[in-house]
Amino acid sequence: MSMNRPDETTLHAWVDGELAPGRAAEVAQWLSEHPGEAARAAALQAQCASLRALHAQVLDEPVPRRLRQALRRPPLQWHWPHALAAGVMLSLGLGLGYGLGSRAPGAWPQAAQAQLPVFVREAAAAHAVYVPEQRHPVEVAAQQQAHLVQWLSKRLGVQLKVPVLEAQGFHLVGGRLLPGEAGQARAQFMYQDPAGERVTLYVSVLSREDGAAAAPPVAFHWTGDESAQGFYWIDGRQGYAVSAALPRERLYALAEAIYRQLD
Amino acid sequence: MDIDAVIVHIPRLRRYARVLVGDAARADDLVQDTLERACQKWALWRPPDAASADQVQAALRGWLLTLMHNLFANQWQQAARRRMVDWDETLGPAHDPTSDLGLRLDLQHALTLLAPQAREVLLLVAMEQYSYAETARMLDIPIGTVMSRLARAREQLRRLMEGGAPSRATLKAIK
Repeated sequence: MSMNRPDETTLHAWVDGELAPGRAAEVAQWLSEHPGEAARAAALQAQCASLRALHAQVLDEPVPRRLRQALRRPPLQWHWPHALAAGVMLSLGLGLGYGLGSRAPGAWPQAAQAQLPVFVREAAAAHAVYVPEQRHPVEVAAQQQAHLVQWLSKRLGVQLKVPVLEAQGFHLVGGRLLPGEAGQARAQFMYQDPAGERVTLYVSVLSREDGAAAAPPVAFHWTGDESAQGFYWIDGRQGYAVSAALPRERLYALAEAIYRQLD
Repeated sequence: MDIDAVIVHIPRLRRYARVLVGDAARADDLVQDTLERACQKWALWRPPDAASADQVQAALRGWLLTLMHNLFANQWQQAARRRMVDWDETLGPAHDPTSDLGLRLDLQHALTLLAPQAREVLLLVAMEQYSYAETARMLDIPIGTVMSRLARAREQLRRLMEGGAPSRATLKAIK
């Protein structure tokens, strides 16, 4: 082969696939005749491979919330329903808990994590798992809402309703069936606003031991857990938990809208 | 195009930043700054004309990496006095101010000892597999500079990993 020794940049360009096919073939031929240089080229290729593998596990990690939120524009101006909800809360005063209008205002202390009903912990876990999901956030999409409701109602054993939260700025993404801690069927509905913020509503049918309430009063309880904050309430045999990375006031407005529609 | 299109690129940005700065928390800080910059500048982002969906995504990723590079460059220019390795474009590939460390280092540690300019070129070409031309465009440097920085970065990295003394004689023979 008449080719001269390839210079250093040519060797790198060959490793990086930057050479035209004819030139690359010449270099490959020359390397096949010079095992010492071929070994050096192989070492460069190995270095590339080790760089591509470095911290590759980060590619599979869920995106931290603070990074998802970095894409959010400044919060929109509050619309009328939110302002009303905030007014209601202020009138109840801080630290009183968040009772519901004419129903007895439940002056419950903020529940510690350990005292949370099991279904609320399930809801928080399900929220954390599925909200960052980009490709498969739901099992059945909102386009098949009739099927979704019929299917989940059948599995939970009660007739479910899917609240409409368009007035609060959230549209339904869809829902999924989930296992409760003791193997019960649970339902999760996911909503999203135009900015991509997601809200989940977790619905569970409770037994007496699970904390099913015999009768009203219904009260909203706040769960201020770092990973998923939200409100939960128990209405008869059904437990509901609303979770989102939203300010308490907006979550309250969502919880109230959901409660009113399900009542 | 909505800014939510950026979300799918975050894992890749996180990994690139992680290797670039070497520390998980500082890497996510850099990603966060990049995403905030992307929000501010979103109106300026234009997908290439007549591009396929894949090409649009590739262009968007390149745009984000360019934003990250600009932020990163500002950071290390401000911290220039604390830089661990001096960088002089006029020195040949055999010059290695880290050669007397005499330690065998792991890959991430060795990378953080490279000059930031060299690290960026190496990661964009070897890890992210951008062409020399794309790398030159993102970093706003001539393609010849990409090639010379790349060769030196690889050589420095190899020696840091081996922990041996610089083998200038071998290098002379290659040139």
